[in-house]
Amino acid sequence: MSADPIPGRPQPRDAEAVALQRAVAALETVILGKPRQIRLCLACLLARGHLLIEDVPGVGKTTLAHALAHLLGLGWQRVQFTSDLLPADIVGVSVFDRATQQFRFRNGPIFTQLLLADEINRASPRTQSALLEAMEERQVSVDLTTYRLPDPFFVVATENPHEELGTFALPESQLDRFLMRITLGYPEARFERELLRKGERRDLLSEMTPVLDAASVLRLQQAVRAVHVSDPLLDYVQALIERTRGRADLKLGLSPRAGQGLIRAAQAWAHLAGRQAVLPEDVQAVLSAVAAHRLEPREPAGAVDGERLAADLLERVPVPI
Amino acid sequence: MSRDHRVASASAHEPARPPGAELRALLWTAAALLGGVLLQVDRIPLWATVTACLCVAWSIAACLRRARLPGRSIKGALALAMIAAVLAMFRTLNGLEAGSTLLAAMGSVKLLEARTRRDRYIVIGTALFLLLAACLSRQSLPYAPLYAAEAWLCCSAMAVAAHPESSLGNRAAARLAARSLLIALPLAVLAFLFFPRLSGSLWALPNTGSAVTGLGDTLAPGSISDLSESSDPAFRAWFDGPPPPPAERYWRGPVLHDFDGYTWSRPPPWWFGTTTAAAPASRLYRYRITLEPSPGHWWLALDTVLGPPAGLVRLTPDRVLVGAQPVTKPITYSAVSDTRARDPDPPTARVRLRDLRLPPDRNPRSLALGQRLRREAGTDAAFVRSTLELFRTGGFRYTLTPPPLGADSVDDFLFGTRQGFCGHFASAFVMLMRAGGVPARVVTGYLGGEWNPIGGYLLVRQSDAHAWAEVWLQGRGWTRIDPTAIVAPERLTRGIDEFLPDAVSAPERLILDVRWIVAVRQAWDAANAWWTNEVIGFDLRSQLTLLRRLGIAAPRPAQLGWALAACLIGWLAVTGWQFSRLPRPPRPDRLARAYRRLCLKLARAGVARRRTQGPAAYADAVAARRPDLAATARVLLMSYAELRYGPSPPDRLADFERAVARWRISPRTRSARGSRGKRSVASARR
Repeated sequence: MSADPIPGRPQPRDAEAVALQRAVAALETVILGKPRQIRLCLACLLARGHLLIEDVPGVGKTTLAHALAHLLGLGWQRVQFTSDLLPADIVGVSVFDRATQQFRFRNGPIFTQLLLADEINRASPRTQSALLEAMEERQVSVDLTTYRLPDPFFVVATENPHEELGTFALPESQLDRFLMRITLGYPEARFERELLRKGERRDLLSEMTPVLDAASVLRLQQAVRAVHVSDPLLDYVQALIERTRGRADLKLGLSPRAGQGLIRAAQAWAHLAGRQAVLPEDVQAVLSAVAAHRLEPREPAGAVDGERLAADLLERVPVPI
Repeated sequence: MSRDHRVASASAHEPARPPGAELRALLWTAAALLGGVLLQVDRIPLWATVTACLCVAWSIAACLRRARLPGRSIKGALALAMIAAVLAMFRTLNGLEAGSTLLAAMGSVKLLEARTRRDRYIVIGTALFLLLAACLSRQSLPYAPLYAAEAWLCCSAMAVAAHPESSLGNRAAARLAARSLLIALPLAVLAFLFFPRLSGSLWALPNTGSAVTGLGDTLAPGSISDLSESSDPAFRAWFDGPPPPPAERYWRGPVLHDFDGYTWSRPPPWWFGTTTAAAPASRLYRYRITLEPSPGHWWLALDTVLGPPAGLVRLTPDRVLVGAQPVTKPITYSAVSDTRARDPDPPTARVRLRDLRLPPDRNPRSLALGQRLRREAGTDAAFVRSTLELFRTGGFRYTLTPPPLGADSVDDFLFGTRQGFCGHFASAFVMLMRAGGVPARVVTGYLGGEWNPIGGYLLVRQSDAHAWAEVWLQGRGWTRIDPTAIVAPERLTRGIDEFLPDAVSAPERLILDVRWIVAVRQAWDAANAWWTNEVIGFDLRSQLTLLRRLGIAAPRPAQLGWALAACLIGWLAVTGWQFSRLPRPPRPDRLARAYRRLCLKLARAGVARRRTQGPAAYADAVAARRPDLAATARVLLMSYAELRYGPSPPDRLADFERAVARWRISPRTRSARGSRGKRSVASARR
């Protein structure tokens, strides 16, 4: 994908954009050979969306989340989900303070800027939905009191698709809360060789300094919202969405919320590429990450999965001239 | 690499197809062609079919990169070889079979170079011509669905070939084709009903289809039993009023006068004199017959027909309808018959002579028997009675599988085997009559018929073939005597299949006996009869009848033409109105037109835009394929991107248009690229 800016237009060479490029470069030194996934992660963050990483253990999911938090200068927490995890373990709990003779709310790990929810499909549906509610509302309510979550607030959840015993698959309505789902996959041979040679990548992080902070992330999120979305582009997005509906081989088409998410993600992608307007290519770049987990084939046993459906969608819908 | 270059240059103005789409379009085209060839498979020589299959396999293998397509010289040689083969086989390139063969062969060779859309259209067009040829050569009902399927297949293939990048799915293409055919159907019906039918044979091709079974003009022991194995329909008869009772369903075919001791035959046509009208007596039947093709000239009619029906047919003095030409296609005629009428006039001297003649040195015992019986009887009528008595009491048995007879067939039969079917009995009876001095002749034809309650007609099959005798009796005229009826009286009232259980195999018995199978069989036969009569047989006369019913009494071709034109315009208006209601894509604006011009220029330079490519991705593609154009192309494409997708002031549109119009892709780079392309081809060959 070309990162060329539109000529004849001043490039956003302000400090945050430069820092963002540096963050991309730094992430690429930590997670080797996955530039697309790194950009998708950043785009998801800039689009104020939550991220679901689905992959087998040991391909760097946690490292990615850790590096993201560290380089962007965000505070982060990690929760390992298990079947006996309770909502209070995430949200927090009111405890009685003997000194003041009052109940005091003790924040749970969710009160952070980046929450890594590891193996989210191991928790019970009740705990899952507590987290997902917080994700949607960006606030938690305990004992009639509402506590706002920090801003920015970003959840990176991971799940292992191959484990089935003792897991609770996320239902469609909750999958929909995640703006993107990505998979990392095994590294290419030459990157794997480098990984094997150099050992633990997370150690690199301690030597790196954060390139951004929470305030600049918020400003970047503002800038992403300002990326121009033209009518012809909306035509294209609508054509894509339309193509997923009323199909015999799909259980569900893309919802309007998915459409909004697609546009936000494309805006973020365009911003990462230094553009001031969204091009069809930006939509194409983020489509499979945004749409694949929302498209469910009617016969899951078939070879067609969401990724292939999304690729097929791109092949079938022409870009309007 | 060299391949891609060729494909791109061959279809510069078409968007490049992905290889899967290429294969799909090829498969559809090949299927359409093979369908056309298979419809003709028994009409064209085997090598043409094999060639078609080989060419299809070759082009598919080439599409899968498993083989290399032949070069121009090989294709040329192939085409010349095909023409030579057709010429060697048919001595002409004209005519239905030679033309079909040539068409199939050429279409197959064309498939080998079908890379662009236009080539595929040509191959599909060839398949449609093959379909047309098939329609000309065979028109029976079972083929109609096959023809419709092939038309559908061809149209679907065309839809797939026509659609850019083959974005039309298989089902969608089939649906589109079906809808288009349905839209065209009213037009086809109108043209069928009202297109002026010229009574000449402008498009009647020489008909090569010939029937295999039917009555011949000779009768030898065994000829009828051959016929009785065939359940093909001989003809169907619709009656005004009730049909005659089974015992009167004698359908008269050729009458045989000459006997050589073994075979009965018919004198040449010029021997017969003029015909006198028969006097109608009591039982008149009016009916219409649709005669199936048969090798003979005979127009079958219920015995005795009163006059010749309209058409190229003559009624001979022995009451046989002889057509001017062999019955090569189904014909329909109306006739009036009287089942009780007799020919009262005494035979002329030469007819009498002919109907008394016997070969003197053959069948001596029968000759003697006949003379003795006549002497003992006293009168002709008593002679007939005593001869029939001989058949009744002489231990004769009716069978379809009699032992073979020698040269003196009647002697062998009467004094030896005593087993036979209608032909044997009629032959022996007439021989005895002639020996006793009574003029007699053998009549062949059909007896009986199956009543079809669905279509309301009598179906007479080849297996109903029969032979009987006629003798001249003073005062009574020519009298029908059926010796078979004496030996086996049930043969008159029941079909031969029912009557002789051994004559049909067990599965056939099942078909004949089970009630619902009988119903299905009759329904199918009624549908066939309708098809033959109303669709295939729709001629000028039927058209005039239809028009008269619509109130046009004496139409001239010009009037018909005008009516047809009016219908066509009406159809166009209705379809056009329907199409106008479809949502129409918006007219491209100035920017889109300028962008298309830009894309066209780049496509001519060898980089076609894929439908799903946005401007930035297209710029990358140009940079990869034509680095020399990359810089300018990127500037132009990105200014399009900004004009289209950016928050841009509209005044820069004119700049963009000018820049696109001014940009010339220099010939130097193009020629340089050409030589590079050639070099890469050469290196690939090495």
